[in-house]
Amino acid sequence: MNDMSTQANESLGDYVARARAWLDAMEPRFGHEARKGLTVDQDLALAREYQRLKSEAGYACITLPRALGGGGGSEIQKILFGQEEFKHDFPTTYFTVSQGMPIPMLLRYADKEIGQRLAPPAIRGETIWCQLFSEPSAGSDLAAVRTRATRDGDGWRIDGQKLWTTWAQYADYAIAVVRTDPTVPKHAGLTFFWLDMKSPGITVKPVRKLAGESEINEVFFDNVYVPDSQRMGDVGAGFRVAIETLMIERYSVADDACGGPTLNEFAKLAANSRINGRAAIDDGQVRRALAEAIVERQGLRSIHRRALSAIAEGKEPGPEGSIRKLRLARRRQAMGELAMDLMGAEGMLLEPEGTSTLDHVWSWMDVPGARIAGGTDEILRNTIAEKVLGLPQDYRPDKKVPFNQIG
Amino acid sequence: MENEILTMLLDQAVRLLDAEASQTRLKALLEEPGSFDAALWGKAVELGWPAIAIAEESGGLGLGIGSLAPLLQELGQRTVSLPLASGYVTAAALLEGGVAADVAAQLASGQAIATLALGEAGECGLSPAVVFSGGTLKGAKAPASFAAVATHALVSARDGDTPGLYLVDLTAAGVTRDVVPTIDNARAAAALRFDDTPATLVVAGWNALLRHAGVAATLVAFEQIGGAERCLRISVDYAKERKVFGQAIGAFQAIKHKLADMYQELEIGRGCAIDALESLEEGRGDFLMLACTARLGAGMAYDFAARECIQTHGGIGVTWEAEPHHHYRRARSLALEIGGAPFWRDLLVDGQQILETV
Repeated sequence: MNDMSTQANESLGDYVARARAWLDAMEPRFGHEARKGLTVDQDLALAREYQRLKSEAGYACITLPRALGGGGGSEIQKILFGQEEFKHDFPTTYFTVSQGMPIPMLLRYADKEIGQRLAPPAIRGETIWCQLFSEPSAGSDLAAVRTRATRDGDGWRIDGQKLWTTWAQYADYAIAVVRTDPTVPKHAGLTFFWLDMKSPGITVKPVRKLAGESEINEVFFDNVYVPDSQRMGDVGAGFRVAIETLMIERYSVADDACGGPTLNEFAKLAANSRINGRAAIDDGQVRRALAEAIVERQGLRSIHRRALSAIAEGKEPGPEGSIRKLRLARRRQAMGELAMDLMGAEGMLLEPEGTSTLDHVWSWMDVPGARIAGGTDEILRNTIAEKVLGLPQDYRPDKKVPFNQIG
Repeated sequence: MENEILTMLLDQAVRLLDAEASQTRLKALLEEPGSFDAALWGKAVELGWPAIAIAEESGGLGLGIGSLAPLLQELGQRTVSLPLASGYVTAAALLEGGVAADVAAQLASGQAIATLALGEAGECGLSPAVVFSGGTLKGAKAPASFAAVATHALVSARDGDTPGLYLVDLTAAGVTRDVVPTIDNARAAAALRFDDTPATLVVAGWNALLRHAGVAATLVAFEQIGGAERCLRISVDYAKERKVFGQAIGAFQAIKHKLADMYQELEIGRGCAIDALESLEEGRGDFLMLACTARLGAGMAYDFAARECIQTHGGIGVTWEAEPHHHYRRARSLALEIGGAPFWRDLLVDGQQILETV
């Protein structure tokens, strides 16, 4: 395939048309039908092959340089491609974190030679990076991490435990934020590193989620050596680098249904379900729920469309984009519950082959994590209140206390 | 050029409204049924507000319907009631129907004032029972805003089984106007009764009636968004300033999360209103469905904001002297004027396939 990534003066409409055509051509090999019945290992192998082709075509890491295997394109192209790719059920999930945050951060903070060597295989899907941030006692409160790094000659020794690490079981490398100085307040004592997940002393244990699947892991560190050359940013600057990492996806793309069935699917179910012998779609409670969901979707579509225009014009999108995940995850849960209600006792059936995008029961089963990951509902509301509305920060008694003196 | 005129108009509007729409004056209007700020209306007419969205060849300034939206938002912020949306919708219907161009021109110049008489007793939505037959109307409409001071009414009625919109000169024979007390006396509401009143058909058919109601809903949505913006702003200000248990109430999550929710409802309602207006300006086929979402989204946002604005203000919020009750009243009256939410939800669900495919 030719290098089609950088076509001068191509309009965004043409870009999308070209991306669509390319994605359609990929559908037979990587789409929903092709993935049916695959084991995770087989699916991952397929995912690596898709990723390689994406990189060749300039659709992998669209905003990163072409020389590294990226697309050499713009933020708006990346968002538009992501929207189109969403419409296909391609195996992209293994690389979302890896290419989303660690690779851009590596290119910003690691030695140039290391970035040039390690980024290309990650962009082609040959290697996977994970992000070692959260811990048992540090979730929403990221600055509370306890995993310790202590000086050892030209490097550091890491001990402790990370939790909720997505795809750590397949990861070759990681970025990590750890505590290097417990005698200063919590935000000031952290440092950021990249590390090789095959280093002696690292143990990865998958965590089984409530719906059964296991992309998240516990990662244990037992006297793991990391050279100081793998430090990213200054000693003590880890919290700032971690926040910068989380801010990279300044505008994240999530579909209208937050990974659940569309409202049209819900309407179909309601048309085919009965309440006391009458069609559920004619019931006022069902109509109200559907109407309110449509209104919310329309408002969010408008916000999204305006954000895309802003980004395309090189401006910052407004803060209202921050409400999207908060709204859609709750809505998916509520619509899932109502769909199951309409199904009556049959709503208990958990179809073994079902998926969240197509099946109301699976969608409900698998949605609670969406209200936690990427900012809990509560943290997101706090963020709106503090950052957008300018209300006071919560009372934080541990803020100025040395970390090792916090009760 | 048009943008410059609009910017100038909006600057003038903000200055005028800031000078004239004092709390004292607004409260005085709430005291008496059928109140109308005729002095402010006179100044609005001088500044050309009734004309801005109407085409030049019809006596307007030709700035398009999009110019009315930000002006109505400014009115909504201050709970100022002027018959701009009702005037525009009536004039646009007249021009579309090719009826009474002189009245449309009078509406543009501010000589005429229009009321939208769409509601009826016992009906949540817009289905009319008032009968048009042999050139006259017979029947009663529910209280309509600005009917107390209007020169003309755009009335929904049916001719046999066909609903339509009719123009009535309110000085004509057989018109009874009853000024009634309402939750929001500043809306100049009156109930209209027609007893063989001469009327002119403007547009016929349920779809035409709905489309014009949708235009009204879209414009009113911007008034509602303005109101919700103001509720959010005064709630946030009060939450920062009011201290209990040794800290500002805005530091408590119960208040922070409530106000974060208010912000979300506002932005969703705003998004719906913007999309409906854009569809209307572009003449798209999804307009009525988007008007439904604007009606519902902006209505929910303002009701929520007005209700929780009082709650955030605590005891002060329930006093006559405080501002929040102006919005509590206005949010509900705007929500009821052109059909209640259950009606618009019904329309939206029936048409949702359209939004799915657009």
